[in-house]
Amino acid sequence: MTTTLAELDRARDTALDLSGWGRRFSFYQPRNFAFWGYLLLVGIGILVFLSTLAREYDAYGQAIGLAVTSFAIYGALFWWFTQHIDHYAKLPAKLMVVAFVWGGFAATGAMAANANDAILALYAKTFGQVWALDWGAGLAAPFTEEWAKGSGLLLLIAMAPRQVRTAFDGFILGAFIGLGFQIVEDITYAMTSAGTQFGANQIGASVGTIILRMVSGVAAHILYSAIFCAGLVYLLGRPGEPRKVGRGLLLIAIPMLLHGAWDSLAAIAGPSALKLIGLLIATIVVALAIVVRVYQSTVKREQDFVRDVMAPEQARDVITAAELDAMAGNRKARKAYRKAGRKRSERKRARYVLDAAYALADELAAARGADTDRVRFARTEVARIRAGVPSRW
Amino acid sequence: MSDPETAVSSAAAAPRFEPDERWVPADERWFGLDRRTIRPTLAVFALALVMSVVLPIIDAKVPYHDIVKAGDVLELEGGVTFVPEAGWGITSGLRAGHVPLSGEYPATATVEDGAMKFTLRTGQFHGDANQLLDQIEATSEALNRGRGVRLTGAPTSIVTDQGKQGATVRITGPHTAGVVAAFVFDARGVEAVATGPSDAGAEPAATVLRMIDSISQTGEGKR
Repeated sequence: MTTTLAELDRARDTALDLSGWGRRFSFYQPRNFAFWGYLLLVGIGILVFLSTLAREYDAYGQAIGLAVTSFAIYGALFWWFTQHIDHYAKLPAKLMVVAFVWGGFAATGAMAANANDAILALYAKTFGQVWALDWGAGLAAPFTEEWAKGSGLLLLIAMAPRQVRTAFDGFILGAFIGLGFQIVEDITYAMTSAGTQFGANQIGASVGTIILRMVSGVAAHILYSAIFCAGLVYLLGRPGEPRKVGRGLLLIAIPMLLHGAWDSLAAIAGPSALKLIGLLIATIVVALAIVVRVYQSTVKREQDFVRDVMAPEQARDVITAAELDAMAGNRKARKAYRKAGRKRSERKRARYVLDAAYALADELAAARGADTDRVRFARTEVARIRAGVPSRW
Repeated sequence: MSDPETAVSSAAAAPRFEPDERWVPADERWFGLDRRTIRPTLAVFALALVMSVVLPIIDAKVPYHDIVKAGDVLELEGGVTFVPEAGWGITSGLRAGHVPLSGEYPATATVEDGAMKFTLRTGQFHGDANQLLDQIEATSEALNRGRGVRLTGAPTSIVTDQGKQGATVRITGPHTAGVVAAFVFDARGVEAVATGPSDAGAEPAATVLRMIDSISQTGEGKR
């Protein structure tokens, strides 16, 4: 038994080391070159964005106000959703903010926007205006925007090598890079829409764009970057994720293809509005099916980490085998565990026990597996909730 | 001396030591920097340089020649058309009949001749030509905040070859002068902006007036 426990504890240490789970992230790293590179490019992007906003605010203030408010709510909802799907070896929130800011400012204003303008103009000069209108965006943005966003992950890995360890980390950070890009791009689109009626009826002119971008946004930049960055981690390899070049290249190519198809939908569909709507829905469905598949394949390693971290707790009877399976399982496994109780109060308690067990896992990760006061307290919380004793606190 | 095997076999009371996140191993330092972070950062810098400097320079170096031939007509969204002057260069916009696959013409078209530039823009507008001109002036003032190009003088009427009445006003800037004309076809506003060097004269060139006069809306757009 002792030997087994020792092995389980060693497996926990290895999992915590490989996953980087619970490690703190310091943004200010003056000896890290990537930190300065990040600051420079994000700084340029912020200057570009703020100068555009300041220039256009007096003319399109109403539309800007609506767009900023709407997309702030959108961003908050997405943040909640990401927390909801990431039950496992969580990344520091600070790192997600750093990813978001890269996508919003560096990838847009300091990189992709300039390249898009130049490539579209070159296409028009080489192949004609009609061709550029039909296919220009679809053959420019997948290269410029996906790489501008994805390159941010290279800097994030250099800035947080102890935290960014798996393809799932790339997936989550990529989603936040995409969210930042999406929101800033959407605000820019809203400003452009506000000017389409010569500055009159700004709200009416931009609200359609805002709604369309919100609805389609989930299957656009957020999704593309999540897949792309998962692919980048596979391509590079990380301590918690062995290098898989083929899979990496495939996951990098897929969002580029999806992005190209999305930007070319109007040309592929032709003048038929019905065909356009059909293609739009089909593209969203295909993109969502792919991202779910990528999520399922990348999250497996994180689930294994949770199992390794919590297995000693099960061996020490802090949690049950069913609770361990639920914690390291998918949504269905957690639901099955919660629904196993016959009474409503039992089902409710099962949910709280699971939440307390996840909190214990986070404490164990932060303590690097040590028996600290916080860990011991988290254990007593699991026992208290299971026993149905009210909290003293 | 404790047995290392035993030390890891039970959960320790204190977390195992891990160096600070900012710590750099002595053999990985290069002028104080963590050398492992240099290559990825340079790769990102190279990408940013290609996107923000190299591509725009290549674009600026590649000449663009799409010269208007006699009889060419440019078409915009909503069936709005105008006849550009032969010999001018089309920098954006499509000839009538060269419809994109989406079936939608773009909302703007620009032709240039040296320092002279003529841009036509269209969009929904509910009101008459004078109201559109007021809206254009308000938006232009808000965007420029009194600097750069300004609309000056009193608006005057203008009638196109199609018989559509519009409003026009002069524009002036530090080194630019020109004219803005506004028309409203049903609920579709059209803004024409012609600019050139301020030393070219106060009156709009005959070529510009001819292009403004040629603005019309085709039957398809009206429907």
